Amino acid sequence: MFDPFTILGLPRRFDVDLRAAEKNHRELSRVLHPDKYAGGSATERREALTKAADVNEAWRILRDPVRRAEALFQLEGIAVGETNEPKPDPELLMEVLEKREALADAKNERDVDKVRALEAEVEAREKKIEETLASAKSFDGALVAKLGEMRFYRRFLEEASAVEEELAG
Amino acid sequence: MLFEIHDPKAAPKPIGIDLGTTNSLVACVRNEKPVAIADCNGEILLPSVVSYAEGDTVVGTPAMRLASEHPRETIVSVKRFMGRGADDPETRRLGPYEFDDSPGDVNTVRFRVRGKSLTPVEVSADILRELKSRAEDELDRVGGAVITVPAYFDDAQRQATKDAARLAGLDVLRLLNEPTAAALAYGLQSKKNGHFVVYDLGGGTFDVTVLFLEDGVFQVKSTGGDSQLGGDDMDRAIANEVLEQLGWLAAEKSKPRQLTKSPKLTPAVVRLVLDQARGMKHVLTTKDVVEAEVPLPDGGTRVVRITRARFDELIAPLLERTGVACKRAMKDAGLKTGELDGVILVGGATRVPAVRAYVEKMFGKEPLVDVDPDQVVALGAAVQADLLAGEGRSDEVLLLDVIPLSLGIEVGGGVVDKILPRNTTIPTSARGTYTTQQDNQTGFEVHVVQGEREMVADCRSLARFTLKGIPPLPAGLARLEVTFRVDADGILSVNAKETTTGIEQSVTVKPTYGLDDETVEKMLMDALDHGEDDLLKRRVAEGRVEAQRILLATNKSLEADADLLEPGEKGAIETAMRGLDEACRGEDPRKIQNGIDELDRVTKSFAGRRMNRAIARAIGGRKVDEVNREVEHAKGIERAHE
Repeated sequence: MFDPFTILGLPRRFDVDLRAAEKNHRELSRVLHPDKYAGGSATERREALTKAADVNEAWRILRDPVRRAEALFQLEGIAVGETNEPKPDPELLMEVLEKREALADAKNERDVDKVRALEAEVEAREKKIEETLASAKSFDGALVAKLGEMRFYRRFLEEASAVEEELAG
Repeated sequence: MLFEIHDPKAAPKPIGIDLGTTNSLVACVRNEKPVAIADCNGEILLPSVVSYAEGDTVVGTPAMRLASEHPRETIVSVKRFMGRGADDPETRRLGPYEFDDSPGDVNTVRFRVRGKSLTPVEVSADILRELKSRAEDELDRVGGAVITVPAYFDDAQRQATKDAARLAGLDVLRLLNEPTAAALAYGLQSKKNGHFVVYDLGGGTFDVTVLFLEDGVFQVKSTGGDSQLGGDDMDRAIANEVLEQLGWLAAEKSKPRQLTKSPKLTPAVVRLVLDQARGMKHVLTTKDVVEAEVPLPDGGTRVVRITRARFDELIAPLLERTGVACKRAMKDAGLKTGELDGVILVGGATRVPAVRAYVEKMFGKEPLVDVDPDQVVALGAAVQADLLAGEGRSDEVLLLDVIPLSLGIEVGGGVVDKILPRNTTIPTSARGTYTTQQDNQTGFEVHVVQGEREMVADCRSLARFTLKGIPPLPAGLARLEVTFRVDADGILSVNAKETTTGIEQSVTVKPTYGLDDETVEKMLMDALDHGEDDLLKRRVAEGRVEAQRILLATNKSLEADADLLEPGEKGAIETAMRGLDEACRGEDPRKIQNGIDELDRVTKSFAGRRMNRAIARAIGGRKVDEVNREVEHAKGIERAHE
């Protein structure tokens, strides 16, 4: 099982110290990057390539809250991904739908402030989930629904940022 | 006492090569400073022009002189065609060439030259051979080479560059992205930390890279660009203007980009006007107006005049295209213009005043131009070659580059499933899991694509293969795992397996564009005068270079980590080293390879221990619970400060 926490030498938890993770990623890259083994034997070069790729992948997972959360569930043996997780709460779906419509309206009205307000609202929701995950004692099936919610918010924020850019010029 | 390596001559010297669209050059590190290597006439820049007009292959300035008389047999800016298919739009632009249009083999462009067909890989190999021999004249023995490529080069273009180097008999240490090379040349000189943008407008390609430099680590945050945009396009814009002024080329009103050619527009005229256009561009870098005399078919001449203001107008759309890429790269890096510490200009086309003004306005910073923009990439490549050979500050400096374009596979409905997004740090690997669409489906076609668009049709096809032997199962039950690996050169390899049976399938990836190994091997044979004899000699020489590198590295590690050796291990390693050294004195490439393999075998577990030690040191050699405590402690401090 791919464990990004162990690879970067950090404790397995949601509120991982990102600065430490970044530093460890950099220091591990310094010693494992294939450039450091250009004169090495075939085994060394192969190993360095695999290990350096793992270190990069681990950092890519840890710095992204959704992927970090997914990894925590997977490490507990819980399958993730939209087909494996429970169906999202209809109330949540309703809410996301409404926010989407509000975003579309704001776009049509070219109302940047409204877009920003929607973003702030969703960001606050996202932060709340992150807090829940950070204080979680274990990553079991009861929490897995939070993943879907996070992905919804993430997608919404990406769209909102695109709209904001479009309105800006 | 360490093992003495048999070395009759000086150690081979690694080199850095900038294989450019307009000019190419080679550099090496001397007395800890990168320097460009000049030819016997003192010329540093080798025009990337190859002429086959007179039977022999002529490269550089002499080839340029042949270009106007033999426009079809003289290939200029071959880099634009690297890794391109025969149906590529590039073949339809204003240019004097004739292309092979034999159907069936469309995976590479082929120039039709004197009844022969030539691939861009072969033409590029001729340029590389010239640079290699220039380096050999200067350095006795040439070691491995770092060759630069535009950061925005896709997989096929990178592979084509590697093939060209192989054909030229170069031992490629690494393909290095041009902007990163430039940053390396700058960073070491100014020793600054911070965020930098490299704006690289070369002869035929545009790259923009945002990178973060901290304590010797160059981390590329994002990259973008256009692999078909450069100074050549400025020449073309001027040439079109000149031809319009002469009335030989008229823009059709309905389709402004479609040009109506006059019968006077022979390949020779096109070549001549393109060359004159380049000269006019150079003059306009310092003057406000330029006049050129265009020879007419009737023997007379006509004077054409272009002002700087008109030139700026002509190139404005090109600059706008670079601006779009810059904005996206900044966004991808999560940076605002105010957060930049510096902007570096690379490439001859950045000498154009309008380019400098545009860059300064866009980034709100006066760009750095301390290092010659024509040489900076080669100098950086030489530094990297030296680092890879374990010289210089190899312990301190590291380049962490990214893939420029997303990689994915085709899923139902012609949609792309992205497996690795653009700007992922390399080397890297990632997996995607898929399932069968139909009951009892026993084959699964994997189509690998590169690009940002959602639909396969809008991305570049890299390769296709079929995974066979899937057990007949109802639709949706088979589990197919596709693994992408991208190495430090940015080159992709793909692997697929069916996980319900656990049997990994070996698959042959057929590249959509470029040459397969067999073709390259055949070209290699053809390029050598005495076929197999020469090939044998070359294998021996290559084997020796590799053996020497490994022997040196082994010596170093025996010295550095002697305490990790187990009883008897050192003896076994030294025996293998002697065996390899012995094989290098002979002429049998297989014996050298066997010696390398044997040394690899006996050092395997020692190498593993060394790597584990390096990992432990890198993350402070602490156990996870210690890290835990420290994290808590640090957090306490942080809270106290809030």
